[in-house]
Amino acid sequence: MAAYLLNLGVLISIYSILAITLNFIMGYAGIYSLAHAVFFGVGAYAGALAAMHLSASIFVTVPVAMACAAVLSLALALPALRVRGEYFVAASLGLQVLAVTIFAEWKSVTGGIGGLIGIPPVDLFGQAVYRPASFFPLSLAVLAIVIVVTRLLVRSSFGRNLTAIRDSESAAASFGKNVPLIKTISVVISAALAAVAGTLYAGYLSFINVESFMLDTSVLVMAMVIIGGTGTSWGPILGAAILLLLPGLLSYLSFLPPTEIGAIQQTLYGLGMAILMIFRPGGLVGRGKARETKSAAKVAVGQKPPAVEAKAEGAR
Amino acid sequence: MLWLQLALTGLQVGAVYALTAVGFSLIFGSTRIFHFAHGATFVLAAYVFYWAYQAGLPAPLGILAAAVAAVALGVTMDRLVYAPIQRHEGSFFTVFVASFGVGIAVQNIVGMVFGRSFVTVTTELSRSVKILDGVYVSPLAWIAVACAALFFVGLQWFLRRTHVGMALRALSDSPELIRAYGLDPRRLSTYAFALGSVLVVPGAIITAATSGLNPALGHHVMLISLAATIVGGIGSIGGALAAGFLLGLAESLALIVFESQWTEAVTFAILFLFILLRPAGLFGRAATS
Amino acid sequence: MNAQAHMPAAGAGNEVLLEIRNLDKHFDGLKAVSDVSMDLRAGIVTTLVGPNGAGKTTLFNLITGHLTRSGGSVRWLGRDIGGMKPYRVARLGIARTFQDLRLFGDMTVEENVLTVMEPGALPFSLSGPSTAEKRARVAEVLERTGLSAKARTRAVDLAYAERKFLSLARIMATRSRLWLLDEPASGLDPNSYELFLRLLREEVASGVTVCIIEHNLDIVVSISDRIAFLDRGRLLADGDPQTVLDDPDLAAIYFGDRT
Repeated sequence: MAAYLLNLGVLISIYSILAITLNFIMGYAGIYSLAHAVFFGVGAYAGALAAMHLSASIFVTVPVAMACAAVLSLALALPALRVRGEYFVAASLGLQVLAVTIFAEWKSVTGGIGGLIGIPPVDLFGQAVYRPASFFPLSLAVLAIVIVVTRLLVRSSFGRNLTAIRDSESAAASFGKNVPLIKTISVVISAALAAVAGTLYAGYLSFINVESFMLDTSVLVMAMVIIGGTGTSWGPILGAAILLLLPGLLSYLSFLPPTEIGAIQQTLYGLGMAILMIFRPGGLVGRGKARETKSAAKVAVGQKPPAVEAKAEGAR
Repeated sequence: MLWLQLALTGLQVGAVYALTAVGFSLIFGSTRIFHFAHGATFVLAAYVFYWAYQAGLPAPLGILAAAVAAVALGVTMDRLVYAPIQRHEGSFFTVFVASFGVGIAVQNIVGMVFGRSFVTVTTELSRSVKILDGVYVSPLAWIAVACAALFFVGLQWFLRRTHVGMALRALSDSPELIRAYGLDPRRLSTYAFALGSVLVVPGAIITAATSGLNPALGHHVMLISLAATIVGGIGSIGGALAAGFLLGLAESLALIVFESQWTEAVTFAILFLFILLRPAGLFGRAATS
Repeated sequence: MNAQAHMPAAGAGNEVLLEIRNLDKHFDGLKAVSDVSMDLRAGIVTTLVGPNGAGKTTLFNLITGHLTRSGGSVRWLGRDIGGMKPYRVARLGIARTFQDLRLFGDMTVEENVLTVMEPGALPFSLSGPSTAEKRARVAEVLERTGLSAKARTRAVDLAYAERKFLSLARIMATRSRLWLLDEPASGLDPNSYELFLRLLREEVASGVTVCIIEHNLDIVVSISDRIAFLDRGRLLADGDPQTVLDDPDLAAIYFGDRT
């Protein structure tokens, strides 16, 4: 039982890192990405390969993983962020689909469908950390670091710029904000930090394959952020905990067929996302009311301003 | 003759993509709602047809059932999900997330009801006929292309000649104008969803009868619809049609060079090139609509 | 009517900040701005008037780079800025407000003002004013616009007039040389009017150059050094307020279109 709980704790920590880093771009920059599992995956593969061929030290694997994910995220962000938000959703979905193919097919690097096996455990100051009892504190510590880093960023002028862009891109530009650059930097930071989760994951399981990094994972992480509360500090962690506890709880309900647990879980969080958007778009932790209350509601009738703004952006 | 065979297959696939994308583009163009669950509508329609086929119902009834299911899902989404969201906020992403959530739920429910393995409907029409040495085409391919042409021409006629059609075209530009003419934007939105959703039916049935179905197809359909909408030019229905065919052909012809698992990569590469080089798409909003 | 009346404009000797020449903007054949030429001179308040759809806001969008011109030129201190991205234009010292305000809705009043003072493209930028300096400036701007008590209120939760003043506070904090104000006083009650006019005069006195779109003729008369009259994208008149306002042809267009 203790091992079971510790294992769950490790997974919740790792997924919390993913949810927090996705929330960083979704909640503060208004960038919706369906490719977060790609950066998780790149971090896992890069961290695993670094551990197998260079050194298992966390001070080697993590920077390598972060650098790889950051470079890849640039390839997505540079073109896709110059245009409107819909394009980023589409491009990220495309990248996710493409990445799954590459993870499965690039056998010499990723091990193909079979994946990478025998990944050395995480090495911290010469100590191999692999037992759940010692890995759990490590994952918690990394989670704490990620929380602190993202909080600092959100509260800095950079974070204010992100929020300003989210609330009104054209106004932010009129006050001298280089919108594409700021957005690109936020995506790179988010991807690099997601890669940290990937490295932990690979070192913890000592085995990875493409199945952990498919579209389902991107969707799961997005659901964690949304259900917990987009743009809140603790919402993503709450979301991660709820969605990872859900399968365990569902398996207690003996009348449910065990083979359908996964599908039931996905159905539940799919419906949960839709219902929250209707009644409580801020998520469980977020403010109950929709973001734009008085002023924008008046303008939002028929959504004229977005269309006008869209035209102006398109004309650039 | 490999290229000819692949081009013909590509045309068939392209017809399916084109109609589905036209449906998505019609909904997005007129209501500005990012209807991510469009892929789920496709999957639902295809499985309802499959169910009717398994139950031994005649094909026209199966087609009717699929159409009813597709329209019901689209209109229900509009009424029960999008309308309440738009009443209080209606930001692009709130709508997107809700749509996304319903899409996942529908896809999984379809999986639980019909199973997650691959299924196909085999009919007389699915059988390939030799037309040249080494070139085989099933009658369904011609039907697919004919359907695409027919539905597109019908839709264009509807949008240009009927009262509701013209109002739909005006909806995205000026909801105020719609109101001034005494029309209700919400009601028009429902029409857009009914029309857009019914457009997935031919593609869904043809897919069921040719390459086969599994519930995860929804995401693929969605990627294609999104890609075709962007490649064609957001708001341009003709663009979505052309881009659907382009993507189908490119996917198929890519098999000359790549193995089959890379087909989605080809779609992605085309999408990315357009975002990079020509974000307004083949026909930007100004050119057509 | 003559295409463009030439009248001696106020402040003719002042330095030209913005020089617009033969500016055109077409949307699908519709001429939103057509062959407009005018100068914005330092220290002069220029008011753009004209019926709805005359191209006033489009002209602002062309200056700030939110739209790309179809033809003609826009020069800032002699340098062509047509085709420049909005953020680059802003950094030259040209700031604007929007008719629909576009406040940063989820941020507090204080943060709205703070944000426009920071260049901050990078996470931890070392340039820009110091924190103490920024706080002092924010406090000063909020004090003057009467928003001190609302410093911690989110922009979406403000009343209508307060929102208008926040829009003004943001532009005051930028320390820009040229302000483009899009109907900043519309819908204000008489008290708010007074405050608005006083602030505008103070800012002009301290060296800000203003170009303003305004419908209320009382305000137009009381603040303008110069009036530019636009109709259907064309500049019909550009001169001192009284001459322009007394022109019966222009009055006919202005009031005719409104009924």
